[in-house]
Amino acid sequence: MRPAEIAPHPDPLRAMRERGNRAGSARWLRVPPFSAQAIVTLLILLVCGGLVVYPVVFLVEAALNTGDPQEFPLQEWGLANFAALGEDWHILANTALVACMATVMAVTFGFVVAWILTRTRVPGGARLERLMELPYYMTPLVGALAWAILASPRTGALNQVWHAVGGGGDLFDIYSPFGIAWVMALFEGTVAFVMISAAMKSMDPSLEETSRVLGAGKWRTVIKITLPLVMPGVLGATIFVFAEMLGSFAAAYVLGIPGRYYVITTAIWQATTSYPPDFGRAAAMGISLFAVMLVTLTIYRLIVRRGNYATITGKAFRPRAMEVGRAAWILLAVCWAYILVAVVLPMMALLLTSFQRFATVIVDQMQFTLANYENAVRFAAVRSALVNSLVLGFGVASIGVLVMTVLVWIIYRSRAPGHGLIEYVAMFPQAVPRLVFGLALLWAWLNIPIPIYGTLWLLALAYFTVLMPLGVRTLAGVMLQIDKSLEECARVCGASWGYQLRTVTMPLLRPGIVAAWLLLFIASVRELGVSIFLVGPNAQVIAPSIASAWLSSSTELSTALAIIQTSVVFIALAILFRAARRFTGELR
Amino acid sequence: MSQARIEVSDLIVRYGGVTAVAGVSFTVGRGEHVTLLGPSGCGKTTTLRAIAGLEEPSSGAIRIDGQTMYSSTDRRNIPSEKRGVSMVFQSYAVWPHMTVFDNVAYGLRVRKLPRAEVAANVDRALGLVQMREFASRPASNLSGGQQQRVALARAVAFSPTVVLFDEPLSNLDAKLRAEMRVELRELQRRLDITSVYVTHDQEEALAISDRVIVMYNGGIEQIGSPEAIYNRPKSRFVADFVGSANLIGGRLKSAPNGPGPVLFETEGGVTLQAQATHPPRGDENRVAVRTAYIDLAAGSPNGATNIAPGNIRERLFHGDFIQYIVDWPAGQLIVRRPPTEMFEEGATVAISFAAEHCVLLEA
Repeated sequence: MRPAEIAPHPDPLRAMRERGNRAGSARWLRVPPFSAQAIVTLLILLVCGGLVVYPVVFLVEAALNTGDPQEFPLQEWGLANFAALGEDWHILANTALVACMATVMAVTFGFVVAWILTRTRVPGGARLERLMELPYYMTPLVGALAWAILASPRTGALNQVWHAVGGGGDLFDIYSPFGIAWVMALFEGTVAFVMISAAMKSMDPSLEETSRVLGAGKWRTVIKITLPLVMPGVLGATIFVFAEMLGSFAAAYVLGIPGRYYVITTAIWQATTSYPPDFGRAAAMGISLFAVMLVTLTIYRLIVRRGNYATITGKAFRPRAMEVGRAAWILLAVCWAYILVAVVLPMMALLLTSFQRFATVIVDQMQFTLANYENAVRFAAVRSALVNSLVLGFGVASIGVLVMTVLVWIIYRSRAPGHGLIEYVAMFPQAVPRLVFGLALLWAWLNIPIPIYGTLWLLALAYFTVLMPLGVRTLAGVMLQIDKSLEECARVCGASWGYQLRTVTMPLLRPGIVAAWLLLFIASVRELGVSIFLVGPNAQVIAPSIASAWLSSSTELSTALAIIQTSVVFIALAILFRAARRFTGELR
Repeated sequence: MSQARIEVSDLIVRYGGVTAVAGVSFTVGRGEHVTLLGPSGCGKTTTLRAIAGLEEPSSGAIRIDGQTMYSSTDRRNIPSEKRGVSMVFQSYAVWPHMTVFDNVAYGLRVRKLPRAEVAANVDRALGLVQMREFASRPASNLSGGQQQRVALARAVAFSPTVVLFDEPLSNLDAKLRAEMRVELRELQRRLDITSVYVTHDQEEALAISDRVIVMYNGGIEQIGSPEAIYNRPKSRFVADFVGSANLIGGRLKSAPNGPGPVLFETEGGVTLQAQATHPPRGDENRVAVRTAYIDLAAGSPNGATNIAPGNIRERLFHGDFIQYIVDWPAGQLIVRRPPTEMFEEGATVAISFAAEHCVLLEA
C-alpha cells in the first residue's frame, strides 16, 4: 500500500483544489444529467433522505399536535405539549444531575487511563488499550444488569461482602442517581477515553522534548506543557460525552424505573407505553432533548474547529512515552482496577447468575444449572429473538455496507450535484438521540399505509437508518486514506465509473469494508433504543428481550441472554481486531 | 492548427474565490515534449489535470488532435476516460492490490483487447522500463523507483498519443531522480508520443524538454527552449526561479527601439553593456547575470567586457562548484566557479561577464 502513504509535494493549491471540487461552480458540466453517477446519486439522496427526514417530520407533527393524536394531517396544533414540559421539571433536573455525574466520572476515568496508556511506559500498555474499549461493546444494558447483581441494596454481591466483613448498611446502592451515572460512565463513557487518548497521541512530542531540553523536569513538563496542550481535547471530549449522557437510556431504564426515578429518555419511553399513550408529550420531550443535544454538539464542533488546537495537527506522531520507574506498577494497577469494575466483575456476576437456578450471591445457596440457556433456546419467543437479531445483523451489515460504500464514494469523491447534501443526510441520525429516533420511527411507520410495522423489515430499515453514520464514518476513514490519484489513474486509463469502483475502489477499501461490516453487525446485535419501540409479537430481537426478561423478574434468563449477546459481540469484535491487525500488517 | 496535438486556449480554473489558472494559452506540437515549470501553487498541475479531464475548468477551451475536449462556450466536457490521453501521477498511483502485470494491463483490458494482445503489449511496455522479470510480483512490495517504472509502463502500454506527467520524479531521491531523467528522455524519444510534463524542479525541466513554459501565479511568464529560458530570461521571476542569477538594480542609459545591445547604469554607478531581448520601454530597472557566467581573475582580464574590481567576502565550497560572495561597486554578487579556480577570502579580483549574458529584464 506504499503509494497511498507517500506524502505528496506540499501544495497549497491542493487543499484548495480538493475543497473547490466539492463546492466549485459550473459543476453541472462535469456529470452529465443522465450518467450512471447522477442517477445513483439522486436515487441515494431520495431513499436516504426519505428514511431520515420522514420520521423527523412525523415527530415534529406529533409534538405540535394538540388535537386528536390519531389525526393526520393534524387538525389543531400549538405549543401546548412543550409548555407542559414545565410540569416535568423534576425529570429535567434528574437528567441534568445524572448526566453531569456520569460525565465527570467518564472524563476522569478516561483522562487518567488515557494518560497512563499513551504517555507513560507501563508494561502491556498496547494490549490494555484494546481492553479499555470492551465495556462499550458490552453495552450499558448488560452493564446495568451486571451492576444490579453486584450492588443491589442488601442482596448485591459487593454489599454482601461488605456485610461479611462487618460493615453496616449498604456499601453501594446501584438503584440511585449515582448508581445510574456510574453504569453510564463505565459503559458509555468509553468514548471519553478514546477521544482523550486520540488528543494525547496526536501531540507533537517535540513540544515536550523542547521543554526537557530547556531544563524542565519530567513532572514540570507534564504540568506546564502536556496538560495545557491536551486541555482543548479534554474539553471537547467532556462536551461530547455530556451530550451522549443526556440521550442515554439503558442504564436509567434498568436501574431507574424500579424506583420510579425518571430521566428524560425513560420519561419518553414511559409516555409512549403508558395507557393511553401520550405521543404529544413524548414527542415534545424528544424534540427538546434533540435540540439540547444539537446545541451541545454545535458547541463541541466550534471548540474543535477553533483551530487553537495545537495538539491536533493531523500528523501521526509516535508520542514519547514517559519513563515512570516504579510508579509504573501503581499506574498499571489503576488501569486494571478500571478493567476489573467495568469488565471482569460484571462478566463474572452475569456468568455466575446465568448458571444458577435462583439468582443469589450466597455461596452455599447456589444451585448450578444449564436450564437458563436451555430455556433461551426452548422458549419460542426468546429463540426467535436470538435468530432475528442474527438475521438482522447479517442482513443490515451486508446490504448496509454495499449501499454505504457507494454513499461514501459519492460524498468524498464525486462532483455530482447533491453529493454534499448526502453527507448531511447520512450523518443526521447521529445528532438525534437513539431513543428519540426510535420514537420518531414508530410514529412515522404507524401512520403510513405500508404494512411493515411489527415486522423485521421495519427493524432492518430502522437499523440501516440509525447506523448510517457509523458505517459512513468507518468507510470514510479508509476512503480518505486512499490516494485519489489511484482512482483518477483508472479513469485516465479509460475505465468508466462502475468499472473503476469495481476494480480499484472496492478492492482498496476492503479493510474498511470488513471493519464496517463487523461494526454494523455488532451495532445491530446490541441495538436497544430503536428496537424497543419497533419490536412486535412477531418481530422480537435480543436487547429488548433482555430488558423485558429483567423487568419481569426473570433475572437468570436475562443474564443468560446477556451472556449470549455479549459472546456474539465479542466474537465479532475478536474477528475485527484480528482483521485490523492483518490489514495494518499489510500496510507496512 | 492541424500540426498541434494539444491546444489550450484562455484556460481559467477557479476554486470558489481563488483563481488557480488565470487565462493560459499554449499549444503542443506532435511529438513535442513540453514542460510546465513553476513553484507550487502556480497552476501548473491544475492546467495538466484540466487537460486530463480531472479538473473542471471555469472557462476556455482544450483541444486534442483538433477535437474539442472541453469548451465553455460549447458546454462540452469529455470525461477523462474518453479523452484517450495517459498520465503518470506524482504518487505513481500504482494499485497495491494488483500485480505488476495487472497494473500495466489495466488500460488494455479496459479497451477489451484479446488476451494475447494484452500480454504482448504488457511485455513490451515492461521491457521498455526493464521490469519484465517483475511482472508477477504484487505491486505493493516494489521500491519507489520500481513503482515509478511500473507507472511509466502502464501509461504507455496502450499506445496513447499523449502522455501527461505530473511531477513523476519528485518522490524519488536525488540520485535515482537523475537516472530516471535520462531514461524518461530516452523513452520519450523512442516512443512516438507527445508529452506535457509538470515539475517544480528547474534542472529537470531544462534537461528533458523541447520547450519550457514557466508559470507563475496562474499565468505564463515565458515560453521558450530550455537554452532560451536560461540564457534570456524575460522577467525577474524567470531569472530568479530558473537557475541562479544576480539581479542588479539600476537604470537604462541608452534605449534603442528594438531588441539588442543597451547600456545600463547600476546603482553603484557602474555602466554595463547589456542585452535587451525585447524592445525596451525605458523604465526597466534590472538586469540579470547568471552566477555561472561571471568570470573572476587575479589580474586584469584581456578583451573582456563589463570589467569591475571586486573583493571576495565569503567562499562556500559546494563540491561541484565554489560559490563566492563578492563585494563590488554595485553591491554584492554571487559567483559560481569550478573548483579548479580557487580564490582566498579577502582577495581582490577582477570581475567580468559578457554583454550577451547581462540580460535586461522587463519592468
